[in-house]
Amino acid sequence: MSAAIPMGAARVGRWTRLLGGLALGLATVFFLGPVLFMIVGSLKPDELVLREAGSWRAFWPTEGSLQNYRDVFERVNFGRFLFNSLFITGAVVAVGLVVNSMAGYAFARMRWTGRNALFAFVLALLILPFEAIAVPLFYMMIEFGWRDSYQVQIVPFLANAFSIYLFYTFFLGLPRELEEAAEIDGAGPWRTFFTLIVPNAKPAFATVAILTFLVTWGSYLWPLMVTSGETYRPLPVAIANFKTLPPLQWGDIMAFGVMMVLPILLVFLLFQRWFVRGVASTGMKN
Amino acid sequence: MSGRKCSVFHWSRRPDRRLPDVSWFFHDEITAVSVHRTAAEKGLSGADPSPNLRDVSSLKAPSTLRTAALGLVLSILLLATAVFFAACGPAQRGVVDEEGRSVVEVWFHSGQAPERDTIRDQVARFNQMQDEIRIRLTLIPEGSYNAQVQSAALSGDLPDLLEFDGPFLYNYVWQGHLIPIGNLLPEILKRDLLPSIIEQGTYRGQLYSVGTFDSGLALYANRARLSAVGARIPKGIADAWTVDELDDILARLAEDSPGGAAIDLKLNYEGEWYCYAFSPILVSAGADLIDRSDFQRAGGTLDSDEAVAAMTRLQRWFADGWVDPNLDDAAFIDRRVALSWSGHWDYHRYAEHLGEDLLILPLPDFGEGSRTGQGSWNWGITRYAHDPRAAMKFLEFLLQPEEVLAMANANGAVPATFSAIQQSPLYRERGPLHLFVDQLEHSAVPRPATPAYPLITSLFEQAFQDIRHGADVRTVLQRMARQIDQDIEDNQGYQ
Amino acid sequence: MKAAAGLRGRNRHGWLMAGPALAGLLLFIAVPFLMAVGLSLTNLRLGSPLPLEWVGFQQYERIFGDPAFRRALVNNAVFALVVVPVQTALALGLALLLNRPLAGRVWFRTFFFMPVVFPMALVAVVWQLILAPGAAGPLNALLGLATFGLWEPLDFLNHSGAALPSIMLMSIWQGAGFQMVILLAGLQGIPSTYYEAAAIDGAGRWQQFLHVTLPGLRNTLIFVVLVTTILAFRLFDQVDILTRGGPNNATTTVMFEGVTSAFRRQQVARAAAITVVFFVIVLAITLVQRRLLREEREIS
Repeated sequence: MSAAIPMGAARVGRWTRLLGGLALGLATVFFLGPVLFMIVGSLKPDELVLREAGSWRAFWPTEGSLQNYRDVFERVNFGRFLFNSLFITGAVVAVGLVVNSMAGYAFARMRWTGRNALFAFVLALLILPFEAIAVPLFYMMIEFGWRDSYQVQIVPFLANAFSIYLFYTFFLGLPRELEEAAEIDGAGPWRTFFTLIVPNAKPAFATVAILTFLVTWGSYLWPLMVTSGETYRPLPVAIANFKTLPPLQWGDIMAFGVMMVLPILLVFLLFQRWFVRGVASTGMKN
Repeated sequence: MSGRKCSVFHWSRRPDRRLPDVSWFFHDEITAVSVHRTAAEKGLSGADPSPNLRDVSSLKAPSTLRTAALGLVLSILLLATAVFFAACGPAQRGVVDEEGRSVVEVWFHSGQAPERDTIRDQVARFNQMQDEIRIRLTLIPEGSYNAQVQSAALSGDLPDLLEFDGPFLYNYVWQGHLIPIGNLLPEILKRDLLPSIIEQGTYRGQLYSVGTFDSGLALYANRARLSAVGARIPKGIADAWTVDELDDILARLAEDSPGGAAIDLKLNYEGEWYCYAFSPILVSAGADLIDRSDFQRAGGTLDSDEAVAAMTRLQRWFADGWVDPNLDDAAFIDRRVALSWSGHWDYHRYAEHLGEDLLILPLPDFGEGSRTGQGSWNWGITRYAHDPRAAMKFLEFLLQPEEVLAMANANGAVPATFSAIQQSPLYRERGPLHLFVDQLEHSAVPRPATPAYPLITSLFEQAFQDIRHGADVRTVLQRMARQIDQDIEDNQGYQ
Repeated sequence: MKAAAGLRGRNRHGWLMAGPALAGLLLFIAVPFLMAVGLSLTNLRLGSPLPLEWVGFQQYERIFGDPAFRRALVNNAVFALVVVPVQTALALGLALLLNRPLAGRVWFRTFFFMPVVFPMALVAVVWQLILAPGAAGPLNALLGLATFGLWEPLDFLNHSGAALPSIMLMSIWQGAGFQMVILLAGLQGIPSTYYEAAAIDGAGRWQQFLHVTLPGLRNTLIFVVLVTTILAFRLFDQVDILTRGGPNNATTTVMFEGVTSAFRRQQVARAAAITVVFFVIVLAITLVQRRLLREEREIS
């Protein structure tokens, strides 16, 4: 992001700068403290996590070891939960990108009967949060016999009105010349879309991918309702359940937490620019 | 779910290979954006289209095409997988495995670690010792067990052999999920079972379920701390502490305790615990959860003066700060408190930490004698079982004295058969846990045998929390009674 | 003739391209929503062998007669009224702090944004320890330190006055970074010439903030506020994991009541009615936001 230099930087006084620094410091403590607390807790013997939580030792592993991580693998099938989360999230993101980008393109750049009415339908669904349909969908999925499966966590979330809308606004801004060129080459709408539009819409794809990823990866309410055994249980439900699985060992729980957030944290740190740009662009669409 | 034949287990070994490659989103973004920008800046203002065309053609690099195609292929693969999973739904549940053995699906609650290990071990041994039946085990989280059963039942996903917490039986029978097992269970086994097990498993004259263990609920106490405050130590159920006596002891213990807490009520638990552990208080006080003469009304019983008085006394323990929040489930073994209101499952852990100091006392007498909970997880055969006899074979195996003892040793529960109790050094006459057997024979209260029970327990948990947090006891109980009565009325009396 | 054929061809492609998504939206969003409206007028209970009956508005009468549900509405509203301004102000403050030349800007942005990638279930579990009761609880210890020992340790999540604020705190922790990034982008969209012009007119920093920054961020702010308000009404995960609506319904929410009814008590019809009420609330919030946006267009 280019650094805009708004308020006359020269006039910033020493006190203002000091206050700003202080505020930044406090904010850093506020946002990083819990993260650090979790990581340190995961390295401590279980009984010390709570006992030392009230002192500076909460942030310093006095008797650090990786025992808690070993315990997690011994007590539950962590690999399975991780795989489930990766698989479900991967499927929702990947298929969702294809399905929603096609729809966004059809609405933005193609003419067909029923387009306007159907687009109004999509816009209407935009304001319907998932929670408003969770209960009837739960009932419907049970009737489908989909309870406790992968598809129950994937298929209902593929089509997404918000993703379609983001793609739609992006495609609107693409130059007409792209398609005109393709038409000269004799390409049909499908080839035009996949060979020309898609490669030129990477920012939109990245935005939708990241937002879908965040939502799906953190999803708790739905898998709580529709999964029962460990077979299809994703990480958020797994950690809530791990917390109630006797014996109660906070070190193990923190280790579970670290391992659960590590993959996404790595992805975030590697592609931070895209995360930030993706999130930022959601606010720009108004 | 275990009910399906299709397994994805082989994928979990190499999940990375199935993941969509997303890296292609993150390359070349600068070119893409710049095209976007130039185009946007030029708008439709009749500029010469050729430069744009040149931009476009430069973007048609084969590598981009290939990655896009790859992404598409992966997406289609994933979609196909989803369809594939849809295709092998519960309709094709396994009846016979590859070796031609009859498959019995079994659900078990994921309780204490040794319990889980024991059932896994029992399943493995059973599968190995004969070659006609194969047991497939699924562990279900305890916190939402009933919810899982309910939704599984609706989609026809219930296993053949279902473990469930005793008092849910009546609801499951009412809904038509279970079959009577009286004729399947050998008479000799039936006679060996504790009467409390038969009582819990019987609804409207038919036996539907049996357990391999029953439960014990008591006050675990720290002997040294009790003598430090000069508390009388009861010898058995008959001379249990009265609630006045307990109040007095708690006050003295609290004074003696550095943190000010005196008792652990297992506030870290969720779900069934509250109704199981604390509804006996109501009975001991001369009230109850519901009028048991016909199970049609809670009003007048649950919100009676006796019930309000008993729960108000409990509320005072919270108000006075005598109850440890037990966030780490270690209040008793860390010796923060001298008393722990808990079940048989804590015995081994407590014995290990307190040794000779550990005492097991009956729950206090709220007026009509000490009362305690009973009933525990037990087994029923579902209507969906394709081979009920095979399911019963496994149940018979679990009821062998050695197996009953194996589980009882793992979770500290009261063995459900007399033959096992006699072989148990813990539970037989003069054993350290004989009090639990005694209680089951004399002072235990079964939870109400009504299909409304799942609602009752869910409401009671909430009522308990409300009382814990200082709500007016009478209001809370009246509201709960009203909700129960309305539910019974909505369901036409659960006839 | 040729043109008509081409149109038909285009028609086909348009439908095919939009088809999969439209089918999904119809089947998994529109139909369930209509089902919710229908189910809310019945007495449906999961697993009940009794026949299904139409009961009219009985479920609605019951939920509005239920103090827990009314409390849930109040809690959601309070949550929104506190979290929306506090979180937005915090996010705006952070965005302003970062929207200037600063060593390690990217680092700070990373720190503040990091909680956004934490699943709420994990946030709840970690914060349960942070909010632990007694002097050993980190937050209690911190407050004790800050007040030189005057602070009485609280059992935050079991204290009827502190439970909801605790849930707010962890929600702000998780959500502020998201808003900050959006606002940061908004700030960078304000042309620096506006500030220069204001400075020439002799406007101080505060006046620049009031007359340049805030108007420039208007739409972004409305968007952020709308999203956070709706999020406030969707509140569920933290409550389910930490307090189960307690103490004394101090943290129960509309969604928590709905899920408890449907999933834990099998009362699907009642839950459907709660769902419909939830939707009406969200719709109202959205309409208010539309109105605000339109007013601005009329002004400009």
